[in-house]
Amino acid sequence: MRRNLYSRPLFALKLAVLVAIGIVMAFPFVWMALSALKTKQELLDFSVFFPKDAQWGNYAEVLLRSPIPRYIANSVFVAAVTVAYQMFSGALLVYAVVFMEFRFRRVIFAVVLGCYMVPGAATYIPSYILLSKMGLLDSYTGLIVSNLVSIFGVFLLRQAFMQVPPELYDAARMDGAGHWKTLWRVIFPLTRPMFISFALIAFITCYNNYMWPSLITNSPELSLVSQGLRHFFIEGGAYGTNWAVVMAASTLVTAPLLIMSLLIQKRFIAGIGADTGVKG
Amino acid sequence: MCDIYTRRKKLKRAAITLAFVLPALAPLALFWIYPALSAGYISLTDWDYMAPSYNITGMTNYVKLLTSGEFIQALQKTLTFCFFSAGFTVGGGLALASLLRRAFRGSGFFKALFFSPWITPTVAVSLVWVWIFDPQNGAANAILRFFDLPALKWIASSQTAMLSVIIVTVWKSVGYSMIFYINALDKVPKTLYEAASLDNASAWKKFTKITLPCISPTTFFLCVVSVINGVQAYDQIQILTQGGPSGSTRTLLYLYYQLGFERFNMGRASALAIVLLLITVALSIAQNYVSKRFVYY
Repeated sequence: MRRNLYSRPLFALKLAVLVAIGIVMAFPFVWMALSALKTKQELLDFSVFFPKDAQWGNYAEVLLRSPIPRYIANSVFVAAVTVAYQMFSGALLVYAVVFMEFRFRRVIFAVVLGCYMVPGAATYIPSYILLSKMGLLDSYTGLIVSNLVSIFGVFLLRQAFMQVPPELYDAARMDGAGHWKTLWRVIFPLTRPMFISFALIAFITCYNNYMWPSLITNSPELSLVSQGLRHFFIEGGAYGTNWAVVMAASTLVTAPLLIMSLLIQKRFIAGIGADTGVKG
Repeated sequence: MCDIYTRRKKLKRAAITLAFVLPALAPLALFWIYPALSAGYISLTDWDYMAPSYNITGMTNYVKLLTSGEFIQALQKTLTFCFFSAGFTVGGGLALASLLRRAFRGSGFFKALFFSPWITPTVAVSLVWVWIFDPQNGAANAILRFFDLPALKWIASSQTAMLSVIIVTVWKSVGYSMIFYINALDKVPKTLYEAASLDNASAWKKFTKITLPCISPTTFFLCVVSVINGVQAYDQIQILTQGGPSGSTRTLLYLYYQLGFERFNMGRASALAIVLLLITVALSIAQNYVSKRFVYY
């Protein structure tokens, strides 16, 4: 009889508040998608909320005659390679730190923990110089190589691995399974949900990444979406920005992530909720 | 007694351990640990990136940096930005979580909606906000005019640019702290509320005497994370204002970018990077310390 605890008028009020907040939160997304369908005149007149005659041509222009699809493909490619390696190296490292016994395991984890505190920006200048010495500036290799470890992912996996009953590990080892086999045949299937959360979060972080990639890549054809989008915006010039087309581009870049977030919200949230060291 | 057999076994074990550890540690050492140390070294030089040689100048960069008007201004802007963006992100997150803690039909939709700005590319959504904040034709001013309020110049004026950047930042991150709070509110022992109800405690009393203390570790964690994110904010500032007008949204990180990658004053920029590093480390250590000390259950 929970209903008695929670009166209907109160619930209605709560719902009203939520809807109001929801409208404010959704407004930028809605505005983005709608602006992309408007004519120049309609854009200048706020009273036109919905375009009279949707200008789908703006989307077509971005898809067919702009470099935006190329940028999206770049981001997806770089993110996929990066995340694959991040998961691989992270799994090996965390397996070693959690299950294998060797002398420096505590030290190693402390070092990784320490890196978590270092703001990326503090490493940018020396990393930039390093990449330039290796001749990897302005290349995918440079982008990927400088981003091979996800410290956040290491924390996620550690949390999952520590919850695996040690008996399972012992049993696998008793049966003569090597570490490699134990990791991928025993530990990995048990912790797959966390791997999925890891993949999602790392992929999104990578796809959205802006500052570092924009510092080390110059060639437009190598740009990731964020940098490419900014370029696309600037090219229009501060005046006479063709907002409809810019909004169409933004929508196309954002939409895959929005759809992803609605579909996999729970899994994503599980990964985030498991963030490090929160005890409350 | 150290026969060859155990020795070889030991060697083999060491090799396996290395094989597991190195794929992550090698890149970490190359692109995190070495650069962080190297930044410390560069900060003691007058290197300008172009010149092949440089001089060791000791603490000069730090002294010049810390006493420059630019730095003081950027520090103030960073504090303002962090204080308000973290405050509203954390407070707003708690408010949203309180509304959504009890699941009802459709609550999942709201959760996803409030959370979604956080995972969308900052650059893409910041472009929409540039359009919304457009002084002539933007939606923000149209809404203000509708309510008969005076129009603002938003990102075009040094009076309101910071406000605009904070609005975008809070919009983007409030859902993130909401998720943590929903988690935390769920874990507050129900028996505490039942006991309080028996004593006829008001809802407000329950909130301040039970809920707030129980979720305080999350609050502290979120404050620290939001401040760290604030210190490291770049994307939205770069798109919305480029640190302007007249430095009104230039935070320490943005100043770092300008010093290093626009003016190529590598020594000065590295000194600033070390300052940023110290701020972040201090905050993280405080977070760790507090979360270990104040656990209520």
